[in-house]
Amino acid sequence: MTTHLGVMILFAACVAGVFGALLREEPREELRLAARIFTGLVFGAYALGWVMYVAFR
Amino acid sequence: MADPNASVPIGKGAADRARAPESDRALPNAWLVVALAWIVPGAGHLMVGRMRKAVMFCAALMLMTSIGLAFGGRLFPFQMSEPLVFLAAVAQWALLVPRLVAEMAGWGQGRVVAITYEYGNTFLIVAGLLNLLVMFDAFDRARGRRRS
Repeated sequence: MTTHLGVMILFAACVAGVFGALLREEPREELRLAARIFTGLVFGAYALGWVMYVAFR
Repeated sequence: MADPNASVPIGKGAADRARAPESDRALPNAWLVVALAWIVPGAGHLMVGRMRKAVMFCAALMLMTSIGLAFGGRLFPFQMSEPLVFLAAVAQWALLVPRLVAEMAGWGQGRVVAITYEYGNTFLIVAGLLNLLVMFDAFDRARGRRRS
């Protein structure tokens, strides 16, 4: 897995998992927060990538 | 009317008074917990009785370190002449055993020509920084500042 997107997804999953476990106590809440962080990281980076592509091409 | 703070010894600080006596279980020494969390990721949480979190932290941080090394990331030395290299080394040393094992095994030389080199560095550095947060959390739990 050496594509930008693949590595980013892997990175986001690890970071989201750690922050979910750090910031919440119940397993269900941990999972929900981790999912939100993961989604934010991946889609945020994706959106930012498009913004930069459009702005600087 | 009963005093709600009657069980709190006189002379304790505000932070101590704010702690709720949720458990009768004696908490381990906070500095020992931090030291263990530094040595092995997740060990601090194991000490304060949070088995699931300990496994989660250990798995995630070990995975990140392994990915970083597999991607050709570099284990940075303490090099004062290069401030960013120095800071990267500080972050990486926040994971003691994985860092030592990788160094003794000869991994982490850094393949600069690899397309994943910078990704590898990012994984290694962020794994260390996340372990710093895990250490702080373990310290707070050992001090009774967080529900444990």
